Amino acid sequence: MVDPDDVRISDETLVGRVAAGDHHAFCRLVRRHQAAVYRFARAAARAGEEPGEILRETFLAARRSAARFRDEPSARPWLLALARQAIDRRQPRQAETDALPLRELAQAAAGPGSPGWDGALASSAIVAAALAALPVDDREILTLCDREYLTLEEAARVTGHSIAAVQTRLHRARLRLLAELKERGRGG
Amino acid sequence: MVDERFVAGLHCGEVRADLTEHLDGRLSGERALRIDEHLDGCDGCRQLADEVSAIVRALRELPDEPLDPEVEARLLAALGNEEPEPFG
Repeated sequence: MVDPDDVRISDETLVGRVAAGDHHAFCRLVRRHQAAVYRFARAAARAGEEPGEILRETFLAARRSAARFRDEPSARPWLLALARQAIDRRQPRQAETDALPLRELAQAAAGPGSPGWDGALASSAIVAAALAALPVDDREILTLCDREYLTLEEAARVTGHSIAAVQTRLHRARLRLLAELKERGRGG
Repeated sequence: MVDERFVAGLHCGEVRADLTEHLDGRLSGERALRIDEHLDGCDGCRQLADEVSAIVRALRELPDEPLDPEVEARLLAALGNEEPEPFG
């Protein structure tokens, strides 16, 4: 349910009130961003990690560190960065290697799917299942950039990667999702 | 197997490496123009560009489902039980 007052208060104002100890403002901030943080936690968490716990840790960290929030139009990138830190505290990331050369990845993505495979694009359930089947780094970057509309700069801050690295990861992830959907069409 | 072609001064591999940047409007004007010329003359790369665009649209159209009420209830209970730390 949308609180009619909610849209009139900026994130910046809300976080400022949270920093001053306003519990009501904190609850508003939680309601405004909880679904997005949970989506990101599900996408970026490794197997066996509980997204609900990451959600809880994220908002507790947000309350603790609200005074350090930099003035930004949206608190979402900041909250997603806190969620990423909560995930990493549980299981530090390994330095990953994407062994597949881009040329081969593009070949796989450009290959023919089964006839009518692109009909799957109209099914949110199939697209969501294909997204969920990707490696965690792909899920994470696609969720940040193509679901939550973060800029590359914001996604770089969340993930701790350079903007160039985020750009490359996003491209590879999109190609892998395309290949995954075409492969599913073949199987189905 | 996808043919590697040379169209408008660019190989398919170069174009495919830059597709996301191109589709997101992050390439310089001259580079973007050359890639557009390549796409106009290369059916394989045009198709891949259209498919990547369709993937991005499909992701953006995924429904923003609300938080499961059970998860929300557990979250609010947990947050309500933790006293805010004094702001110093």
